[in-house]
Amino acid sequence: MTATPTSPVSFRKPGSPCHRYLGFGLGLRTPHYDTILETRPAVDWFEILSENYFCAGGKPLHYLDRIRADYPVVMHGVSLSIGSSDEVNIDYLKQLKTLAKRVEPQWISDHLCWTGVAGNNLHDLMPLPYTEEAVAHVVSHVNQVQEYLGRRIALENVSSYVTYKQSAMAEWDFLREIAERADCLILLDINNIYVSSFNHGFDPHLYLEGIPTERVQQFHLAGHRHCDDYIIDTHDEPVIDPVWQLYAHAVRRFGDVSTIIERDDNIPPLEELLAELDHARRIAASVETELAA
Amino acid sequence: MIDATKPREARTPTSKDLARLQQDFQNYVLAASTLDHAGIEAEVVGTTKASAKSRLGIYSEAYRLRLIEALDTDYITLHTLVGDDTFEKLALAYVDAYPSKVYNMRWFGAQLPEFLKTTPPYSNYPAFGEMAAFEWALTLAFDADNAPVLRIEDIAAVPGDAWADMTFACHPSLQRLDLRWNVPAFWKAIGNEEEAQAPQQNEFPIAWMIWRRDLDSYFRSLPVDEAWALDAIRSGANFAEVCSGLCEWIDELQAAQHAAGLLKGWVSEQLISGLKY
Repeated sequence: MTATPTSPVSFRKPGSPCHRYLGFGLGLRTPHYDTILETRPAVDWFEILSENYFCAGGKPLHYLDRIRADYPVVMHGVSLSIGSSDEVNIDYLKQLKTLAKRVEPQWISDHLCWTGVAGNNLHDLMPLPYTEEAVAHVVSHVNQVQEYLGRRIALENVSSYVTYKQSAMAEWDFLREIAERADCLILLDINNIYVSSFNHGFDPHLYLEGIPTERVQQFHLAGHRHCDDYIIDTHDEPVIDPVWQLYAHAVRRFGDVSTIIERDDNIPPLEELLAELDHARRIAASVETELAA
Repeated sequence: MIDATKPREARTPTSKDLARLQQDFQNYVLAASTLDHAGIEAEVVGTTKASAKSRLGIYSEAYRLRLIEALDTDYITLHTLVGDDTFEKLALAYVDAYPSKVYNMRWFGAQLPEFLKTTPPYSNYPAFGEMAAFEWALTLAFDADNAPVLRIEDIAAVPGDAWADMTFACHPSLQRLDLRWNVPAFWKAIGNEEEAQAPQQNEFPIAWMIWRRDLDSYFRSLPVDEAWALDAIRSGANFAEVCSGLCEWIDELQAAQHAAGLLKGWVSEQLISGLKY
């Protein structure tokens, strides 16, 4: 392994179900394949988009196997649709499990959302109503998925633009309730918390305070597009300062959480993302120094 | 602004169950401009900054943009051929005609060639459908299954008396198309950043094969006898049957030698993954 995870500070409560700390990683993107193999950059780990490798052969799996040989890899999906009122898609789970056998990921994650019903797919991370009915429904699906995969999954908070009138709890209470009842892990997207806090008018710090420390497996950091009246989660820009500040707050609360920069569009040269990742490292180190003092 | 930190009373008597809410929301996204959506709008909190309608609109707009972008990725040369305006129109028409039923966006564009061939006004321009079919075949070759490929020595090692019964397995990436328009030439010119002539119609359909060698995709046209022979071995014909069929174009005395020459060419092009005898 060329990249060694930095030494963590552990704030974890004993008995946390989380996997080991991996350090600072990047979302693996096609334009960077060759640079990664040629330069072996100092990235501690990579997160792949699972569906991009649901294929039989050719370049995607060729590059994935070679990069996996040198780096820890985590699988992150967008199609589990854990909150859909449709049944869990067993064909999807089969493909996910097949890929997991090949990749041997450190963990598998997807989003706390729904992507379609009645066999349709909107290819979007649609928000759920924060109701007891939805909690029970998602918990049941998570139980089924975890049993099928034989491992805990991590669920990520999504950015949203609507709040349902029928919602009866805060988003963080909804996420916490599901994680605890289904005994799953949490992937906190710090940018998504910021985006939703602006769109729905809540204090993002309250969100962080409402999440149980022992279940947070991973952080995502990303950029977005500000449209004056609302923010669109585009993941196509650098992380902005208020999100870095929120990240620092998250490190103060959660400590050593494996973190990636997630860029989905407008993909810059790898060096730019490495510089952004170094910024995350510096913030985490500075928080650790502050806490040690 | 709503205060999301304070739990609100669930509107139990009027709230919809999860399935109904999701179906209403999905209906809205799929057909935002054509249906009455007062139902879903009433389910969503609006604010002074952004009304319920404009918040919902973010999802319906993103749905179309995302799927058009997916089509643009798979059909980038079709986009060049038809131009920005027509591509956007045909992509929107396809998105509305074929709501996605696949969980992996990789497969969303699978029916576009058929859509263009059968749907006016695009069906009046058959080169559009053929370009789409060609580009889709390239995507199929790109991530098809891996397989070992035979070497010339493997063929040479087959005993002479076993040749007649030999059957073959082609590489899983192999795609076959018959095209009346020379869209591959347009595709190649655009890929090479050369000036591309609008596709011309041939007198009769030309056979093409598209496949992957190592990690890269290739394509070439096939003479009529070679196309027939390749299709025959893909259907399970043995070497003797191929020789017999080739007599349609080749003198009977030279058919076996011609078939052996085709086979040698396919092997050297890494098209053959297995043989049985």
